Amino acid sequence: MPVLAERGYLIPAVNTDTVDYLTCAVQLAKSIRQWHPTANISVVTVGNYEDPVFDHVIALPYGDLGGYVNDWQMFAASPYRQTIKLEADMIAASPIDHWWTLFEHRDVVISQGCRNFYDQPAQSRFYRKIFDSNQLPDVYNAITYWRLSHTAKEFFDLVRSIFENWNRFKKLLKFAEEEPSTDVVYAIAALIIGPEQVTLPAGLGPNMVHMKRHIIGTGSNDWTQELVWELTNPGVRINTVAQWGLFHYQVKDWLQ
Amino acid sequence: MNGALIFAFNNEQIDYVRMAAWSARSIHRHLDIPVCLVTDVKVDDTVFDRVVQTAAGVSTSRHFSDFGTNVIWHNGSRANAYELSPWDTTLVLDADYVVASNNLATLFELDQDFLAHNHAYDVTGRNDFSGLNCFGRHRMPMWWATVMMFRRSKQAELIFDSMTMIRDNWQHYRNLYGNSQGTFRNDHALTIALGIVDGHTLDHSAIPWSLASLTPEHELQQTDADTFRVDFTTDNNKSKWIELCGQDFHAMGKKTLGDIVASTC
Repeated sequence: MPVLAERGYLIPAVNTDTVDYLTCAVQLAKSIRQWHPTANISVVTVGNYEDPVFDHVIALPYGDLGGYVNDWQMFAASPYRQTIKLEADMIAASPIDHWWTLFEHRDVVISQGCRNFYDQPAQSRFYRKIFDSNQLPDVYNAITYWRLSHTAKEFFDLVRSIFENWNRFKKLLKFAEEEPSTDVVYAIAALIIGPEQVTLPAGLGPNMVHMKRHIIGTGSNDWTQELVWELTNPGVRINTVAQWGLFHYQVKDWLQ
Repeated sequence: MNGALIFAFNNEQIDYVRMAAWSARSIHRHLDIPVCLVTDVKVDDTVFDRVVQTAAGVSTSRHFSDFGTNVIWHNGSRANAYELSPWDTTLVLDADYVVASNNLATLFELDQDFLAHNHAYDVTGRNDFSGLNCFGRHRMPMWWATVMMFRRSKQAELIFDSMTMIRDNWQHYRNLYGNSQGTFRNDHALTIALGIVDGHTLDHSAIPWSLASLTPEHELQQTDADTFRVDFTTDNNKSKWIELCGQDFHAMGKKTLGDIVASTC
């Protein structure tokens, strides 16, 4: 993909039988535009799709390989010299453009850790056992920055290689997943390339609010039925607390 | 003018006025500021520089483990601190807060209109306070109303106005925050009020150290003017003690503090 702009947000969104990721991506793009009306935002998907909220609708360069495996294609798909890739099922609860200043001196930055809706670092390791057992860096691909660089190419080549050779890589891990998740693949790639090359020092970079049950302490997975939520347009409040940064809502049909 | 404000409404078990008088002497000695007592009874004790008589207001029943019973708790008038205080800059203290140093004098030097603690801990290290530093079903981070510093300002006025609104509509806020405790608490009202005033950001200025606390099950003795011995039992039933010397603390066990006050006043 030729470079069409210096900086932009890239949202992968390929619908599945159960999840309408394209609608999630539209909501995310709208939430970013509420804070940053002139932001460059592109969606990466399959098939014919148009929505004026996106500057570009980009087809997966190598076609739909199925599920998470498509992730390595984002490097080739991005029309930006500097890209922030965002998972679709999030919304921007506050301005995020100061991230560019934070990231611009690095080739790759993967976010680390996550927060609960009180802006406290997540304490539960329930979802991160494989990371802890294998001493993998605590990365979350939901927010990933890269600039066109040798480091970024090397990183995404590694991501591709790990996805395509998962049967071999998983033998190296304790409690390996049968199918690789993007976070685990990113963590292995980060470990190979050197975590300091692709992350910021812990606590420095942005991370997301993660609305998973064991992180936020709700009784069920569907927090929308348990917590008081308010869309403040722009922004969102959970149990009256104003959220900031990216808000990973998990319940995919929350805004649909 | 800087000054302290202590609320003291006696009940059948606890003589808060006497406790406040004991505390006032320490405040004079360490902080060198006048003390105003807010109470509902006539008080002649000259240790207080001012006495404001007012109705006890909202009262609730609360279980005090050191007394082994429910006691009537007249805690509803704290929200009126802004209008009741005669001082320009006010240090509101619980009657059971022990001033044993001049640490609190630092608060008057800070360029803040309102300050309170947002973290408390057990001085013995025996109790995990993570449950006490938050409230409600979803563990809202809590600010403590035990020590509050405020200046005459729009921000402080709004905080206390909001506390009054929350107190007067307690059932609504109790439901909103999933608070299973029926008893109205100033800590909860303060936390909610700070959220309202600061745009629900949890970004409130806090006293830059944690609130040392002593839970009711520990034994407290005064060994010198500003020295206290705390006896406690470990998990494996061993008796241990620590000494608090020149350390301010919140004596959550009113009975032991009441005994000290009774023996020294």
